[in-house]
Amino acid sequence: MTALILQSLYSGLLSGGSYALIALGLALVFGTMKIINLAHGEMVLLSAYMAYVMENRLAVNPLLATPLALVVACLIAVVVYFLVSRISRNRELNSLILTFGIGIILTNAALIIWSADIHSTSAPGFQEPVVLGPLYSMRSELGFFVASMVLVAALWWWLSRSWYGRAVRAVSSNRDAAKLMGINPHRTEVVSFVVAGILASVAGVAIYSTGVIQPALGASLTTKAFIITVLAGIGSIPGVLVGAVLIGVVEALTVTLYSSAIQELTGMALFLLVLFVLPNGLFGAARRRG
Amino acid sequence: MRVRVLIPLLVIVLYGVVPFALAGNNYVMSILVAALIIAGVALAWALLGNLGGMVSFGHAAFFGVGSYISAIVTMKLGVPVFAAMLLGGAGAAVAAVAVLPALRLSGPYFALAVLAYAHIFKILATEFTTITGGAGGILGIPTLPRVLGYDFGSKVGGYLVIVTIVLLFALVYARIRNSYYGYALRAMHDSEDATRVVGVHSTLLKALMLFLSAFMTGVVGAFNAHCINFLEPDYAFSSGWTMLPVVAAIFGGYRTLTGPLVGAVVVYTVDQLVFKSLIPSGHQIIFGVLLGVMILFAPDGLIPLLAKKLQWVRQPRGCRDPRTESVC
Amino acid sequence: MLRLDAITVQFGGLTAVKGVSLSIGAQEVVGLVGPNGAGKTTLFNAISGLVRPTAGRASFEEADILKAPMYKRARMGIGRTFQIPQPMHELTVRQNLLVAQRFGAGRVDEAKVDEILSFLHLSDKADRDAATELSLSELKALEVGKALATDPRLLLLDEVLAGLETASKRSFMKTLTELHARYRISILIIEHDIETISNLCPRVCVLNYGQLIADGTPQEVFSDPEVIRSYTGGGHD
Ligand SMILES: Nc1ncnc2c1ncn2[C@@H]1O[C@H](COP(=O)(O)OP(=O)(O)O)[C@@H](O)[C@H]1O
Ligand SMILES: [Mg+2]
Repeated sequence: MTALILQSLYSGLLSGGSYALIALGLALVFGTMKIINLAHGEMVLLSAYMAYVMENRLAVNPLLATPLALVVACLIAVVVYFLVSRISRNRELNSLILTFGIGIILTNAALIIWSADIHSTSAPGFQEPVVLGPLYSMRSELGFFVASMVLVAALWWWLSRSWYGRAVRAVSSNRDAAKLMGINPHRTEVVSFVVAGILASVAGVAIYSTGVIQPALGASLTTKAFIITVLAGIGSIPGVLVGAVLIGVVEALTVTLYSSAIQELTGMALFLLVLFVLPNGLFGAARRRG
Repeated sequence: MRVRVLIPLLVIVLYGVVPFALAGNNYVMSILVAALIIAGVALAWALLGNLGGMVSFGHAAFFGVGSYISAIVTMKLGVPVFAAMLLGGAGAAVAAVAVLPALRLSGPYFALAVLAYAHIFKILATEFTTITGGAGGILGIPTLPRVLGYDFGSKVGGYLVIVTIVLLFALVYARIRNSYYGYALRAMHDSEDATRVVGVHSTLLKALMLFLSAFMTGVVGAFNAHCINFLEPDYAFSSGWTMLPVVAAIFGGYRTLTGPLVGAVVVYTVDQLVFKSLIPSGHQIIFGVLLGVMILFAPDGLIPLLAKKLQWVRQPRGCRDPRTESVC
Repeated sequence: MLRLDAITVQFGGLTAVKGVSLSIGAQEVVGLVGPNGAGKTTLFNAISGLVRPTAGRASFEEADILKAPMYKRARMGIGRTFQIPQPMHELTVRQNLLVAQRFGAGRVDEAKVDEILSFLHLSDKADRDAATELSLSELKALEVGKALATDPRLLLLDEVLAGLETASKRSFMKTLTELHARYRISILIIEHDIETISNLCPRVCVLNYGQLIADGTPQEVFSDPEVIRSYTGGGHD
């Protein structure tokens, strides 16, 4: 039993890697533009399908799809940014409906092009077991977890050290003050969208390489990313990281101890608990949201 | 003036002309009933959006809860169908209590929190197999009954019931909108503090709108269950029950009373008759396009747009009163 | 009737109001002055329930108010205006007052609303859209009107005279004097102009850096060297 629990903690930790990438992208865009991009999960979804296309149509290793996925996700990100920035009134709610619509378009496009079938990789070597003492994982899971952590570290470095990263943080915390400091908020917004796209593309390839994909996945990834940011209390990378791993672990534990059917339920229950008991998130400072 | 002529006319058309004109055509009749089901939910959604100032992406939760409760109490407890439909609505309102903590969240947070609730309810319905029949679903849900010799279980009977439900809801909505509660609620979106400082208990009013919207959605969901006589979690809590009403309300104009209704009938019929045959799998892509186009080019929706056009024809210059638009 | 006891309000590291104790009697008119950023509006926010003080106590007519939510304080009889007018959107001027009366005073009395409108010279704007069709002075009058419609016994006026031209300012001052005589309520008014405040208020309180540094008649207060220093020292933010 202990071995099983230990194993699910480990699997959950590994899946938390890609969750973190997705949630960080969502949080980044929310930070600069104060909108929640409901098509965010679909950027991940289409990236995943790029990996599928590479493997099944061109018969190459899905990892090589990363540049293509990068282009697709960033393109979507820029289009979403462009459309959202054209909203003149009541941006907060209208952008929600607009990106909800874009999500519907992308999900159904995937459905039309690739059908509702479930796909997963059969690339050689991906499913090979890696054993670390009592813990087991697929090689692709471990590889992508490490890659995600590298990317998160890079993001952290970028936000704290580079000029653009600091501009993003400045705009997130106080838009007007940032303007006075000579930062162009619009350019910062585009940059945050593109960075979210980069994170999403890697997450997409990771999800295809380690699990199964289907068109409906996009919407559930957006929800999951949102839940993670609520758990984290928007605004801190470590918070999002812990939230993502928490969701991953809770899901894995549920599958082990109960059934895979309610896998998502426990994550949501956790979310409700936080909403009721700790409205500022697990790590949030005491401040009002939104 | 205009309203006094229009309403009796509408009633005559809806109750007199339509049932007889379409009585022989079961296919069109069932599309119309389905469109009115969407219209009912769209109206409830728009009530929450326009009066409560809250956008929800989870009305499927209330729809599903209403349909399951009504189905179960008729089948397991023998409650008469019409009473059960009210219980379905009440159950959905009770389910909305679970959403209350989300009320203190601002706009986008609320919208997404409700989405998460819809997921939770769907999973619960799948898991509580003893009550809901689980993923296998419930078969043989009783149809609408025969009352005073008239069979409401027929296609026309079902139509008359849903038309009445939707009209009653519209009436309630209109009454609230033109009451002090409605004034305060509408004033709240732009400046909640401005209303609270004059004594408006804003959270309570918003909660009431949430309950009412959930109740309406639950009743419509219950009607639907007795109409198709079959339920399964993936169907009853399908995200379509959220998406279609949102599209209908945004297309017609969610801040008007007629917008969601007209929007639902137009969007649903066109989708069923045209796009479903053009793109059998993935025809919902058109809903996404519609949402995008409306938000970018006509965020107020079709009805205010038409009203403006008409007004412009009638009085070519000036004196456009912003308030007459909300009368539509 | 209003009693503040060592009220402190902090925003993160910033202390906007520091241990302010103050009482206001029935039907008293008190001026509240101080440089920009002194914490005057924040003190109003603390009294009306917009912010929660970090420390201190406050009671109104012997009832503890700090636990009461904003809407309850309005119903208890505390009315206020906002420095930046906040008309209720999508409503006409009259509807603004009616909503305030319905919820704040718990009754609907259209005659009283009409009386307030005419008293504030808003009668001919009664059916205009409040958020889009009023001038600044009309918006300020509407602020006062909404507060009056809730049947307050204490009225907090936040810079209702600021930004008006001399003529409308003078007539508004006259209205405020009449208002006090007619409705017999206590008024706490924030105003920068020393002459205005001296004319309106027999008693003046001075806030500086969140602290109450003087409380007395205008003559006493404005000859106090500390007050003069805070004024000539200019504003701070
Ligand atoms: N909600 C708030 N959050 C953070 N700081 C605030 C807030 N409200 C006011 N302040 C700060 O408190 C101080 C006092 O402000 P205020 O009460 O508006 O001054 P006054 O009305 O006397 O000009 C200012 O430094 C202001 O920036
Ligand atoms: Mg001020």
